[in-house]
Amino acid sequence: MPSTVKEKSKNVAALPAKAPTPRKSKFQADLAPSEDSMVRILKTELQMTSNTDFLSDALALLRWAVSERKRGHRIVSESSTGERKILLFPRLERVAPEVTLPHVDIRWTDNELESLADLASGQPAEPTDALIRAMRQ
Amino acid sequence: MAVTIRRLEEFDEVENFDCGDEPLNNYLRSHAWTNQEKVSIGVTYVAVDESALRTVLGYFTLATSSVPRDRFLKKYVRGLPPYDLPLILLARLAVDKRFSGRGLGHALLSEALKITLRVADEVGCRCIITDAYPDKAGWYARYGFLPLEGAVATIPQRMFLDVRTIRRASSIDSFPAERE
Repeated sequence: MPSTVKEKSKNVAALPAKAPTPRKSKFQADLAPSEDSMVRILKTELQMTSNTDFLSDALALLRWAVSERKRGHRIVSESSTGERKILLFPRLERVAPEVTLPHVDIRWTDNELESLADLASGQPAEPTDALIRAMRQ
Repeated sequence: MAVTIRRLEEFDEVENFDCGDEPLNNYLRSHAWTNQEKVSIGVTYVAVDESALRTVLGYFTLATSSVPRDRFLKKYVRGLPPYDLPLILLARLAVDKRFSGRGLGHALLSEALKITLRVADEVGCRCIITDAYPDKAGWYARYGFLPLEGAVATIPQRMFLDVRTIRRASSIDSFPAERE
């Protein structure tokens, strides 16, 4: 009996795993008349016929916006005259990191890089009293 | 004097700022706002007194940077994570000379290091780097900044402070003398 069970398990393991078919989920929303009208106008402008395509595109756009804001990037529109407007969307601000700093390139000499690597790969130094005081301030 | 440190704002009074160093004065007057809000290459934080909330008494500028892993010699790569080395650049720090000697530089550096720690916690960074004027290198060294070799005497000294050291300092709640 045990050997039969083993054999069966072997056979099962030999078969290619059948990927489960992803289930499509239905999405239903209660829209105010103004929002419903907005959806219709946008679908016309974007030459979309189905709500599925509309939702798919809206989702892709929102997903991109969330990922950009998560990285601390701001979403800006720029007119042909250079006038810029920054998108401030309260829900997106929830995913933004508390502090964001821009990224710059620094010029390094080979000696500086060697020294940097030496310090960064070693054990950290003990904090000085001035540093401890600064962090307590 | 009750000092607040916050991000530079558009209508802050910077025209009369004078730290005694024209490039540092000029940066605050002419470039800091543009670099922060328009081209996004540095964020400037200013110290203001509560009695004159628009008058800038001192400032510092921060940005992030990174060193590509392939720029390091192979003998050092083993001791480093297998990624580019992320770091924070303390690009400028200056105090108006009329307010020097009141601990403003200490307060500004303290805030810069706290921001560094927050950035390290949120997005990761390994160290903070600054280019100190040779006559100011000793001041940074008091806070544990270590000089990087290879600098030329006539240009600012590039200095390094490990984020792990800053984190350790922030977790210490008493001085050695107080603990004894």
